[in-house]
Amino acid sequence: AKALVFEREFILDEKDLEEPLWDLQIALLESDIALTVAEAITEEVKSELVGSRRKIGKDTTDIVEQALRNALYNVMSANIFDLDDYVRNARKPVHMVFVGINGTGKTTSIAKTAKRFKDMGYSVVLAAGDTFRAGAIDQLQIHGDRVGVKVIRHQEGGDPAAVVYDAIQYAKAHRADIVLSDTAGRMHTNLNLMEQLKKVCRVSTPDLIIFVDEAVAGNDAVERAAQFNEAVPINGSILTKTDADAKGGAAISIAYITGKPILFLGMGQGYDDLQKFDPKWFVDQIFE
Amino acid sequence: MVMEKLGGSLQDALKKLVKSGRIDEHTVNEVVKDIQRAMLQADVNVKLVMTMSNHIKERAMKEDVPSGMNPREHVIRIVYQELINIIGKGTDIPLKPQKIMMIGLQGSGKTTTTSKLARYFQRKGLRPAVICADTFRPGAYQQLKTLCGKLNVTFYGEEGNPDAVGIVERGLKEVEKYDVIIIDTAGRHSLEKDLIEEMEQIHAIAHPDYKLLVLDGAIGQQASEQARAFNDSIGISGVVISKLDGTAKGGGAISAVSETNSSIAFIGVGETPEDLEKFESDRFISKLLGMGDIQGLIEKA
Ligand SMILES: Nc1nc2c(ncn2[C@@H]2O[C@H](COP(=O)(O)OP(=O)(O)OP(=O)(O)O)[C@@H](O)[C@H]2O)c(=O)[nH]1
Ligand SMILES: Nc1nc2c(ncn2[C@@H]2O[C@H](COP(=O)(O)OP(=O)(O)OP(=O)(O)O)[C@@H](O)[C@H]2O)c(=O)[nH]1
Ligand SMILES: [Mg+2]
Ligand SMILES: [Mg+2]
Repeated sequence: AKALVFEREFILDEKDLEEPLWDLQIALLESDIALTVAEAITEEVKSELVGSRRKIGKDTTDIVEQALRNALYNVMSANIFDLDDYVRNARKPVHMVFVGINGTGKTTSIAKTAKRFKDMGYSVVLAAGDTFRAGAIDQLQIHGDRVGVKVIRHQEGGDPAAVVYDAIQYAKAHRADIVLSDTAGRMHTNLNLMEQLKKVCRVSTPDLIIFVDEAVAGNDAVERAAQFNEAVPINGSILTKTDADAKGGAAISIAYITGKPILFLGMGQGYDDLQKFDPKWFVDQIFE
Repeated sequence: MVMEKLGGSLQDALKKLVKSGRIDEHTVNEVVKDIQRAMLQADVNVKLVMTMSNHIKERAMKEDVPSGMNPREHVIRIVYQELINIIGKGTDIPLKPQKIMMIGLQGSGKTTTTSKLARYFQRKGLRPAVICADTFRPGAYQQLKTLCGKLNVTFYGEEGNPDAVGIVERGLKEVEKYDVIIIDTAGRHSLEKDLIEEMEQIHAIAHPDYKLLVLDGAIGQQASEQARAFNDSIGISGVVISKLDGTAKGGGAISAVSETNSSIAFIGVGETPEDLEKFESDRFISKLLGMGDIQGLIEKA
């Protein structure tokens, strides 16, 4: 570390980085970035910094933090995808299926997304594709009524693929712009339910598959994002419940493992509590 | 991928101890580091993990290896004891007439667990009744009513009435003669002041014998803070960890019980009313650390 290259510069070595990197890794873990992802990212930063020349007087901690911020920013802004542009230009009806683990906020996020597109002047149809969980159809119906959009529903226990099909037919017949399909929450480890989801996505050929997970999730976010993405390749994710004072590092785990963008953050239980994802803002608040 | 490579690391590290055959600082450090990783990956609170691992390190170096134990077993035993100190043996909900109030974050599994508990008491020969005090989430009434209907469990709720406190007051009178009364409440988090206040009012009216905090098995670092907020507000008597049928390890529950001095009563392992298990600390710790031989080991000591 002390090896003077020439005046006013020095070369960073592994020892210089050890402590600041460890401290930052702890901060990442406290923000709920999964351990494996935090390690992989700090490892990248380390190999980038070791051997690099720095001006004397610059604090190593600051250098490391800046490099880490950049690395996180790169993860979060990779493959950025503007949903609004997409919807504007796509052939109608645009069909989006919402998928994810139990209770993460799929149905609520559909209601928020519907409200958002409706406010933008689009006509929206919802498909009550969760025919499994008790009360799921009623839940979506109430949301649809409140937001003022049509809900296509069958009976509890019905075939989700059939509901989704009907919703798309309805949208075509009524020249609706957007179909948002709800699906039952399921564990990524439940083979039967994952097969069923694949089927729904195969027969309804959605334009976009959106993975919904929650900001309060910890390390498991990596596992389930990876497995959903493998089963039904997703186009992007929504991270809900960011209002629960969570840093939402799960967003980083998910983006890192899937390579797909985060589209929105859910920030409360109201219909307008949906915010377009802003990578810079997000990374900054991790370091707050 | 990254994960797979790291999966068996704890086992490997412990094997190193067996090979080395004696306790030296370097080996202990290595093993403790891997235990640290296992706990962090299981979502145990970061600060708690750091404190615990320092403690484990100290003890492993200082304490004599019990006769008949190899160094590996010695360290595992210490890890186990430290974890058991926090988790305890689990809350035992007695089989007698009582009132139980379900609380927790949005989507954690309260309503499903309410139906599971009703089923549990029903099978034990007690007569349960359920009150729906969630007037906030759309469809909450229909969800619980449907679940109870399938189980033939008495249900009280008032569709469309937003006054949760009033519903509980009337509901309690209505189902007075039942043995076990379970009150399901809306999901809420510590920053939702109005909802926290509503929970306090329900609590004041209901005087529940047990207040069960339902925690998602995948909850991360928020577990301690949220548990503390619920505990400060109305006090929690036990924790239920839900959704342990996936890959989540439930370490958040350790942070929660450590923060609130409570313990774990049940775990949820699926969506049906039957998918409820009594909490067993040994099994839980084995799974958390990714190793199967804790039980036998402890008996050996
Ligand atoms: N605080 C907060 N709560 C949310 C947010 N998004 C959803 N919720 C709540 O989380 C709970 C679960 O939401 P749902 O939309 O039913 O979740 P889901 O993924 O459809 O659940 P399943 O269909 O059962 O798998 C509800 O109480 C919602 O009100 C959010 O951004 N913030
Ligand atoms: N796989 C699995 N799913 C579960 C378990 N417990 C609950 N769920 C599912 O998780 C989702 C949320 O469960 P709920 O019981 O509605 O959660 P809640 O806490 O009442 O939600 P809110 O009332 O919105 O706060 C549903 O899809 C349940 O079927 C479990 O142990 N395993
Ligand atoms: Mg849903
Ligand atoms: Mg509920």
